[in-house]
Amino acid sequence: MSGFLDSIRCGDCECNVDWGEKRNTIASVAAGVLFFTGWWIIIDAAVKYPDQDNFNHAYHACGVIATVAFLMINAVSNGQVRGDSYSEGCLGQTGARVWLFIGFMLAFGSLIASMWILFGGFVVPQKAVVYPGIAVFFQNAFIFFGGLVFKFGRTEDLWQ
Amino acid sequence: MAGIKALVGLSFSGAIGLTFLLLGCALEQYGVYWPLFVLMFYVVSPIPHFIAKRLSDDTDAASNACRELAYFFTTGIVVSAFGLPVVLARADVIYWGACGLVMAGNAVIFLTILGFFVVFGGGDDFSWEQW
Repeated sequence: MSGFLDSIRCGDCECNVDWGEKRNTIASVAAGVLFFTGWWIIIDAAVKYPDQDNFNHAYHACGVIATVAFLMINAVSNGQVRGDSYSEGCLGQTGARVWLFIGFMLAFGSLIASMWILFGGFVVPQKAVVYPGIAVFFQNAFIFFGGLVFKFGRTEDLWQ
Repeated sequence: MAGIKALVGLSFSGAIGLTFLLLGCALEQYGVYWPLFVLMFYVVSPIPHFIAKRLSDDTDAASNACRELAYFFTTGIVVSAFGLPVVLARADVIYWGACGLVMAGNAVIFLTILGFFVVFGGGDDFSWEQW
């Protein structure tokens, strides 16, 4: 019993973790947290205010378009847009650029639309319950930033 | 094989996590069993990792897009397992105390699953012929 704490070593961890190699993993996890938190915020708002008067169901379209934009942005790799990947893909370099352009336009558009919904649909008419508008805004903000982190937080050098 | 002690330790923590989950359902002051839906998330959470491991044969690259997508979806499943009790509690389907117990159970179970992958998942001798 005596001396049973003698073998405990503090700060002896051989943590020579190469954080550069972990960058893609961290970016993927962070993007996952942001994206899915956005969707759970809107699920929460839809559960709390299920009726059309408090939360017009058409406002869900904003988050759906944001998700489509997320998928479009992350479907093409930066290498395909620059033109330095092996295969041309279905659309080629120009097609990849057009696809990415449309994806980013949809992403910015849904973010702007969510702000419009919040102010035009909830703040200006001074609705009794503002929370659904805030939820739509935060959903789209989280999905947008999740998409950005997933797209630009990862480096394709680690794929070689 | 990393040993019996790790296996027993992980199974103990798994049992503790499931105990928290069941306490959140079965205690007298709670009494509803809706939180058991998070079991679905527990079962699904390792699947993206296995799919990515199966699909990508080149292990010399430091990372690949398929594995990162698997991390993305796994994170989403974990977030959803925490989000569901909160939404249930805000909708007054379960009590907040039950929500807290379920979230504690989630944390322990996901750490157990992560522990399984850390202890048993690595190594070149992991081959699909075992299955």
